[in-house]
Amino acid sequence: MTPADLHFQADISHWTWTIAWFLWFVGIAGMGSVAYFFVRKAPVAYTILGALIIGLALVFSHLARWWNMPVVMWTMVVNGHFNFGSWMFIGIVVLSIHLVLGVLLAVSHMNFIFDRLKFLGFLRDILVALRESNLFVGLFAFVGFFGVIYSGFLLTQAVGIPLWGSPLIPVLWVLSGSVAAIAVLELMYVMGWVEERVSIFGMKLGLGLDAMKLLAVLAFLHVSVGLGSAGARLGAAEMISGSLAWMTWGGVVFIGILIPMVIAAWMLFAGKSKPLIVVSAVSALAGVLFLRAAVLLAGVWEPLVL
Amino acid sequence: MRLRRGQQPTRRLAHIWNEANCTACGACIISCTATNNPEMMYREEKGWKTVTSNIRRIDSATPQGRPTMLLVQCQHCDNAPCVSTCPFGAVYYDDNGQVQLDPRMCAGCKYCVTSCPYNVRWMHPDNGLPKKCMGDACLELVAANQKPACVQACPANARDFGDLNDPSSSVSQTLRTKRSRRLLPNSGAEPKYFIVEES
Repeated sequence: MTPADLHFQADISHWTWTIAWFLWFVGIAGMGSVAYFFVRKAPVAYTILGALIIGLALVFSHLARWWNMPVVMWTMVVNGHFNFGSWMFIGIVVLSIHLVLGVLLAVSHMNFIFDRLKFLGFLRDILVALRESNLFVGLFAFVGFFGVIYSGFLLTQAVGIPLWGSPLIPVLWVLSGSVAAIAVLELMYVMGWVEERVSIFGMKLGLGLDAMKLLAVLAFLHVSVGLGSAGARLGAAEMISGSLAWMTWGGVVFIGILIPMVIAAWMLFAGKSKPLIVVSAVSALAGVLFLRAAVLLAGVWEPLVL
Repeated sequence: MRLRRGQQPTRRLAHIWNEANCTACGACIISCTATNNPEMMYREEKGWKTVTSNIRRIDSATPQGRPTMLLVQCQHCDNAPCVSTCPFGAVYYDDNGQVQLDPRMCAGCKYCVTSCPYNVRWMHPDNGLPKKCMGDACLELVAANQKPACVQACPANARDFGDLNDPSSSVSQTLRTKRSRRLLPNSGAEPKYFIVEES
């Protein structure tokens, strides 16, 4: 029986593809920051900064009253209304810090600026010292990781949508964000921007992460459909066999997990192939986006009348 | 007036809907729109696919085929998720225990919409505000010691509004003497919208 009161959040609060892209970029930037701790290459720093800027621009464009933001910020500061209990507020703080650190890190790699503007040499020295400090890069990695965690708890705190109340969502976001960061590194290897050892390590790690992600996706669906409230069951059913089944099985599982796993296993057995690496990385990145979109689009309110 | 953290409201204003008395005429729904959002009178709420109002009507049927109807609106929860999730503090409790929105502090993130277990907020298409009961005009009525528009418009005495902290108020007396229930009582939100089951 279809509930009399079945409403998808996508129709009312419109947390749809714009937010899915935002979560995708935050995942890449966040787990990319963790990867930067180990890789420390300029293209990685630029990618993190680019992902953060695009992600924030997307979420800003999604605000129904974006033009009121200056007044909101001013009123919030003047009145001291800081809601530290809101994951969205925590996220704003974390992403702002991440953005500032990301700018510092990216600029520290931009030698062409300092080569032209010699008088900024002192700034270059400071930024390079920061970049070479494990404390700074460690802080950057931590803030990035916390940003990914935030993007998971952002959904779990939206208690109107029971499907999002699953504790597996932050775990899924970290796992899939890691997969996305590795896929970006693989693409950089193909472009010749990172060494082969990074690619080989990434491929092995990615294979394990894909397996864990598959388990987490299946657990999320199983727990939601088996143990969740009616709203969670209906949302999960939408992902399993409803209008979003193509995205779950085709996008998240087949494109996003199985194709990269098969390619990685094949390359570990038969040797590396750059075209296959590109296919694997693009598939993995698409799967991460599909996962976020499917979870968002499947969100329904608890029916008040069954 | 906005309550500060830890402050208790002086009154706990609550809505009552008597489902046994209700004739499903829709007067409360349309009077709400006409009073609070007259510009929305002939515009559909695209998400709910109904007339745009702070009161949402849900039609259903029992397994035996008998038609049923439920009216839902902001429950002015004592532990409102929308208050705790609003990143900018735009959603707050007033000294009547009502959940209010300060438009100056709202950026339209819609977190309050997804945080509400009762799906009672709708996005105003012109100003991007997440609207719900009570509207500005009804707040003015209450400030003038009158009942909200829906209560005044109801021809069947199916609606009431009053202070739960006052034992002599009509809502307190009704809840003492008649069987009632709340929606999603296990949500943890402590709603203050009561459905009275006997006339």
